[in-house]
Amino acid sequence: ENREDMLSSRSNRLTEALEEANKLFSGVSCAREAVLDAQFLVLASNLGKEKANELHSEMTAFDSVTFAEDLLTFMGINRIEVEENDSDSEGTSGGYLPSNAWHKLGEETEKYFRRAPSFHYMLGSFKSDPPVPRQRIERQKKTTGGEEKRAMPAQLKKMEESHQEATEKEVERILGLLQTHFKNDPDTPISFFDLVIDPNSFARTVENIFHVSFIIRDGFARLKLDDDKLPIIEPSKDNEGREDDYGAGARNQVVISLSQQEWK
Amino acid sequence: MSQRKRSRGSGFSQGDDGDEDFNLSQMPTHSQVQRNLERRSQDQVNQKVSELVQFLLVKDQKKIPIKRADILKKVIREYKDVYSEIINRAGRILQQVFGLQLVEIDTKHHIYILTSDLPRAEGENLHQDNQTAKLGLLIVILSFIFMKGNSAKDSAVWEFLRRLRVQPGERHEVFGDVKKLVTEEFVRQKYLEITPIPLTDPPEFNYQWGPRAAKETSKRDVLRFVAKVQGKDPTFWMSQYTEAEA
Repeated sequence: ENREDMLSSRSNRLTEALEEANKLFSGVSCAREAVLDAQFLVLASNLGKEKANELHSEMTAFDSVTFAEDLLTFMGINRIEVEENDSDSEGTSGGYLPSNAWHKLGEETEKYFRRAPSFHYMLGSFKSDPPVPRQRIERQKKTTGGEEKRAMPAQLKKMEESHQEATEKEVERILGLLQTHFKNDPDTPISFFDLVIDPNSFARTVENIFHVSFIIRDGFARLKLDDDKLPIIEPSKDNEGREDDYGAGARNQVVISLSQQEWK
Repeated sequence: MSQRKRSRGSGFSQGDDGDEDFNLSQMPTHSQVQRNLERRSQDQVNQKVSELVQFLLVKDQKKIPIKRADILKKVIREYKDVYSEIINRAGRILQQVFGLQLVEIDTKHHIYILTSDLPRAEGENLHQDNQTAKLGLLIVILSFIFMKGNSAKDSAVWEFLRRLRVQPGERHEVFGDVKKLVTEEFVRQKYLEITPIPLTDPPEFNYQWGPRAAKETSKRDVLRFVAKVQGKDPTFWMSQYTEAEA
């Protein structure tokens, strides 16, 4: 007990206690008392050492109170005028410490340390699955790329030509093909697949289907299922087509799925 | 042939099973290691070196010192007979490639840490986490301890921290359980050494610098820090200055 009291440089209490112990020791006769005396000596020497330490730092004037104040300042404390001067009794000063105070101090601190930066893998430790969306993008890129490649040199010069016009041209071309074929051989409907499939290019095939769909949408041709349940296409006569357009229920939607495997 | 058998015998305890306790006291001598190296393919040894480098880098993330026993058991395994060569090479790679220093902070129990070989670069710390703030708290404690003569009582330390709005009983906005951080995490990382003072009731403790603190910073650096914060020259505190420059 009374540790702090004894430690104070102003007090001689430690010396007094030692002197008292000395006096008492002369009255010691049994082992237990001697043990107590020994314990006391250990305590006293600890206190003595601490006192010496205190003395040491006082000589070099390290004041932890002002150090704490200066640290708070460094951390960016916002000192407000406190009317009630109770801060001293609490041991803390008034003011608002911002939330990044310690982080700010830490940043300064790093200059004084040679700490190895923590090593972390950038991509994490899990093996990621190959990204599926990326494959789709690649496929789309391929089709558009192919179209550009196949464009005749002459057409390349006409860069201003919009995609819409190019599509229309294609559509017209295919319609022309269809009608020519049918003119030559009116009784044989054309197999849809025969028409659209390009044996050399899946991309082209998809494009052909796309263009043919316009023809059908606009009523210039019709898709039917033949006896084998395979789709066939035949041009419609002009008036027939247009009438159908405005008739109720004339339009149907067909979803054709064609995978690359099937195409092969 | 008999030479080989002898070195093998001294290098291993019972059997070659990797899970067996390694007989740490019988590490091969330098000349034995050189001989053992000749038996191994260079590729295999280099592979082990790479594995050790990765192991050390990952283990260092939490700043908990790495024990040689772990290194032997988890990485070196049957290459124990060339352990010293592997660890030396790993140390060189860490230094030359990563700018890190592999330091043995306890030569008796063989415990390692990684420190930076290079001075801290200017610029913002991109990896935003709590580590920076914790370092701030640490230097404050280390400064206090040093300026008070290299050791301080726990009550003195906590009284000082209280002035900085850090209380052991309260949950701190930034540090959470501060008491745990200081008395457990910092101690485990070897930044602080906390020893009980004998015959104190209730028990009191002595706070000192830990071996990692001694390697990652210096008395001189910490004095510089204190001086900067207080706007004074380090020579203001003559005895600490003398000690720091020694």
